Amino acid sequence: MIFIELFISFMKIGFTSFGGMSMVPLILEEMQAHGWMSAEDLTNLIAIAEMTPGSLGVNCATFAGTQSAGVLGGIVAVAGVLTPAFTLTLAVGIFFAKFRKSRVVTHLLRVIKPICVAMIFNVIITLGRDTFFPGAGVDFYAIAIFAAAFAMLKFFKLSIPTVIVTGAALGLLCYGIL
Amino acid sequence: MEKLRRLGSIFLTFFKIGAFTFGSGWSVLAQLEQEYIQKRREISKETLLEIMTVGKSVPGIMITNVSMLMGMELAGPPGGIAAVVGLTSPAVIILSGVAYFYNFIKGNFWFAAAMKGVSATVIAIVLSAALSLGREAFKEKLAIIICAVAFLLGLFTDISNILMIAAGVVIALIWMGVEKAGEKK
Repeated sequence: MIFIELFISFMKIGFTSFGGMSMVPLILEEMQAHGWMSAEDLTNLIAIAEMTPGSLGVNCATFAGTQSAGVLGGIVAVAGVLTPAFTLTLAVGIFFAKFRKSRVVTHLLRVIKPICVAMIFNVIITLGRDTFFPGAGVDFYAIAIFAAAFAMLKFFKLSIPTVIVTGAALGLLCYGIL
Repeated sequence: MEKLRRLGSIFLTFFKIGAFTFGSGWSVLAQLEQEYIQKRREISKETLLEIMTVGKSVPGIMITNVSMLMGMELAGPPGGIAAVVGLTSPAVIILSGVAYFYNFIKGNFWFAAAMKGVSATVIAIVLSAALSLGREAFKEKLAIIICAVAFLLGLFTDISNILMIAAGVVIALIWMGVEKAGEKK
């Protein structure tokens, strides 16, 4: 059943990620395994999620769920991605004092954070291959837009929505008009 | 009745913040800080700091974990649930609308051209997020080695991400065990 699959998929994503971009590799993997979304849909979704209110995880879950099984699918997927908050965080909240002294979590994060970084770099390679080298050719426009966006973020410290809107305008210019 | 009103107020506050705060979890956090620490003075600054640290280290979405803990601080477990549902509801409503609209407009020539530009931009956004996450994670040599190994595994094998995280958990637990054994000697 699609609803159960959606719930389990997003529960897995929820329990193995630590928010934000670290969710992207896991989401991509689950979406492709089930054929719910292409890599292209995912980059579009990241842009949409960055420009609408709400966290990336919740926005991705709603979008993927709605795309594959309607509004109810969206709600089920969100329930899945929120399972850690409703179980683990609830438990931690009850045993707050004990949890703070525990060293297990610090140790876990020391190993898992670098793994998350590696996973994100791998996703960048996957997405980059599709975007910069479509088919067998080279898309120089895409590479130029990427470089401009990176410079806007790193050197000019522009906000993410501003950078996305600029990217859309450049896309219109390069692919629509030129 | 009093309790229900309290839960309703928590739900509404988090709903409002969820609906009008763009960008990452940090901007949501800034709003919550303003609302509950500066305006209502219901949570102390120290408590929020502790909640943030814990929220970041529990799996899942940082900001929903933080909302859960803040809601619990305000009104116990039901308060936590009211806060999380409140915070996420606007996103669910907006995004399910967007999802329908997206299918509609996906084939449009101009939309596709703009989105091609956006795709290249998104890669830059993900890269810059990975770089700042890396700066935070690479405080010790071992972290760099772990990252390199995981990167190569991901690149050259088809080992799944979830398996990789699970392996990370096991390694971390063994590492901790070894350190503890070392301390006892």
